Amino acid sequence: MPATQETKTIADVIGVVRDAHDADTPIYPIGGGTVTGFGLPVRRPGIELSLAELNRVVDYPSRDMTITVEAGITMQALAATLAAEGQRLPVDAPQSDFATIGGVVATNTSGPRRYGCGTIRDYVIGISAVDGRGTAFKAGGRVVKNVAGYDFCKLLCGSLGTLAVITQVTFKLKPMPEADAWVICDLPSCAAADPILTELVSSPTTPTAIELRAGGEFGAIPSIAVAFEGSQPEVEWMVEQLQRQWQAQHVEPRVLREREETELAWEQSTRHGVASAVEDGAMLICKFGVLPSRVAGLMQRLVELDATGSFLSQAGNGIVTARFANVGADGSAKFVITRLRPLAHAAGGHVVITWAAAPEQLTRQAIWGTGGADLAVMQAVKQQFDPKNLLNLGRYFFA
Amino acid sequence: MSILAATIPRLVEALRRVVGADRVLAARGELLVYECDGFTIEKNSPDVVVFPRTTEHVRQIVELCNQHDMPMLPRGAGTSLAGGCLPVGGGVMIVTARMGDIVEINLRDRYAVVQPGVVNVKLTQALKGTGFHFAPDPSSQGACTIGGNVATNSGGPHTLKYGVTVNHVLGIEAVMPDGRIVQFGGPAEDHPGLDLVGVLVGSEGTLAIVTKVWVRLTRDPQGVRTLLAIFDSCDDATNAISDIIGAGMIPAALEMMDRGIVGAVEAAYHFGFPLDAEAVLLIEVDGLEAGLDPQRDRIIEICQSHRAREVRQAADARERLLLWKCRKQAFGAVGRLSPSYCTQDGVVPRTKLPHMLRRISEISAKHNVRAVNVFHAGDGNLHPILLFDERDADQVTRVLAASDEILAECIACGGSITGEHGIGVEKINFMSKLFTADDLDVMARLRIAFNPTGRLSPGKMLPTAGACGVERAHPGRRAAV
Repeated sequence: MPATQETKTIADVIGVVRDAHDADTPIYPIGGGTVTGFGLPVRRPGIELSLAELNRVVDYPSRDMTITVEAGITMQALAATLAAEGQRLPVDAPQSDFATIGGVVATNTSGPRRYGCGTIRDYVIGISAVDGRGTAFKAGGRVVKNVAGYDFCKLLCGSLGTLAVITQVTFKLKPMPEADAWVICDLPSCAAADPILTELVSSPTTPTAIELRAGGEFGAIPSIAVAFEGSQPEVEWMVEQLQRQWQAQHVEPRVLREREETELAWEQSTRHGVASAVEDGAMLICKFGVLPSRVAGLMQRLVELDATGSFLSQAGNGIVTARFANVGADGSAKFVITRLRPLAHAAGGHVVITWAAAPEQLTRQAIWGTGGADLAVMQAVKQQFDPKNLLNLGRYFFA
Repeated sequence: MSILAATIPRLVEALRRVVGADRVLAARGELLVYECDGFTIEKNSPDVVVFPRTTEHVRQIVELCNQHDMPMLPRGAGTSLAGGCLPVGGGVMIVTARMGDIVEINLRDRYAVVQPGVVNVKLTQALKGTGFHFAPDPSSQGACTIGGNVATNSGGPHTLKYGVTVNHVLGIEAVMPDGRIVQFGGPAEDHPGLDLVGVLVGSEGTLAIVTKVWVRLTRDPQGVRTLLAIFDSCDDATNAISDIIGAGMIPAALEMMDRGIVGAVEAAYHFGFPLDAEAVLLIEVDGLEAGLDPQRDRIIEICQSHRAREVRQAADARERLLLWKCRKQAFGAVGRLSPSYCTQDGVVPRTKLPHMLRRISEISAKHNVRAVNVFHAGDGNLHPILLFDERDADQVTRVLAASDEILAECIACGGSITGEHGIGVEKINFMSKLFTADDLDVMARLRIAFNPTGRLSPGKMLPTAGACGVERAHPGRRAAV
């Protein structure tokens, strides 16, 4: 278990990284600790560099609709600050009372709103970080449109702290919508979702979320859930439009309008990928990224593979989060390599393990697959940002 | 020089074997067209221009450049306004304009695959009637290529709501500077590992040569309301912009033209703009019909509270198209005002627009340069157009001095020196004013990871030693004659 070192200022972070660099000590950056199950387990002791106390709002010019915050601010605290001005960062993160913005950026966390609102990379307009040599650097700025220099704002999204320790981030923001609603229908099978999902692509409505769900918290009967956000008249029009559309397709819609109901629906979707957030005896959690047109077929196969599992897709994006309770006798790694990855490839995409009950079994190949020609480029980038290979040593795909 | 002189004929011969004799230019007269792009202040001729058709052509060309130790530089349609296609130090220019195939359109999965030479508007035209379009719409969209859009992370008027190019690119196939063909990302989202697509977009051809792009397609909006608001003062117009954004509205586009540019546009297109107005705002909201009229009414209210002389709605689709034509071809109308122009691309926080417009007017007066403005007001992305005659060296010097002072003011306001045109060679001196030596060092390291020999696009974007030096003196810039 690595020793934890708290940091309160960016200077503290630089100091810790420089000392570790000089002493060849591995560094494991950590925010709220909500996603530590992702990646290979820590095998060499080092310093756990905590950013949770580096959590100030640096600048919030709300009329410019941008905010600059330190990496350790929690998603909940950030949301509360923004809500006071009628604004938001529409990226869903589970366990928002612990999850930090730095962690969300580093892990590219997303949730149901990604269909309508995009992912965190679409909102980061400026970033400050400390590379593996202890060099503080920044990219982007505080304006909403900026192409000066390389876009490290994107590069550091999803880099899992392996290139640099993120210390400060500037986001562009959106106005808080006035209203929301969910429209849900039950289906005889996941495969039966296909024509309905296809129709939604060209629907005149503009959904914020399109989901196909089966098992666990969502019930044994598969369902499609579509969420709308906007002004009251817009949401009302979309709800009515979709009800008509579905009735014509002979499925029975039910509508969630009450704040309590819609909030629970957002929450259930957001937390589905987190092991500890749902008590369902999950052994393995994976995230697929496939062609949206293949989601219904893939979900059907997953339900057949593990009837006790729980499956949720952001169907419009081709993202499927699968919680397996049963991975067979050979264990998670073999299950993914022999059963899941061929399904992902056949669906035009990939699958990554995001959590396993027995992480010691995991290998790089099991978690991410073998990688393509881009892997060597990732390794070359890593080498430049962290020449001694100390940041999150051995935990990521290319490290 | 003598080594080069001996090398080039052999290289030309080898390139002709790869792409065909008619797809390689090496005669001095033929090369003239390629000595600059939309930024005409500096010029330099490439030694060879080659037109590949396929990814395999590009790979072989890159290998030949490496074998002959020649610098290489990709170019699309050459519409860069920052000298992104200027062949600093000569070498082989790889023009991707003939790689113009739309490879695949997949509406169900909302993507298209294109070669880099596809002209931006051709994709949207190919999608006409499907209910989808490609969102980035730079004003040069009738000429610029999607490969060029990727290189510069192009914007356009409608990026206020829909985002810039990087928000619409899912994957890139590229030829690396060492000749490897690599695919980054692809049609399935959340590709495992680093987001190298995100850093390739906007890298101005300094990391790899893009040979194929997977782009996201966007649903056409159900409805649209286009407004024209006319003001008697620039301050009133910019304050109205600030209030529209501050009120929590995100119009699809929010553009401003000042009196100087309106005169030129009116002379060119006869829309009926009032010639005595100080500022004209072009405001568009789009989305669900159910939400449009309330948004439109609120915008009209805000404009009127800032003393708009008149706010009117485009009567029909024809009038809307004409309005947009006026806006997008405004730069073309500048030819009526002066023989040459130089446009800047600074960005400031939106609330700083009133201040910045006043400063542009003060700075241009100080340097005795005439400036007109047409810009993406909703993004805070300015395009002051400085008018001059490139045959007059004194005017050129004054224009460069005014440009520099305007960009310095953008930085002082917490902004940036480029919102969508890129650094190219034009703004390379400003990188060290916007970024620290450490920031630039990390950027240089990224370039080394992709382009270790520096043979691809040398002298661009980063003020590295061996390119032009950190403080390149302005008299070193060669004004076109």
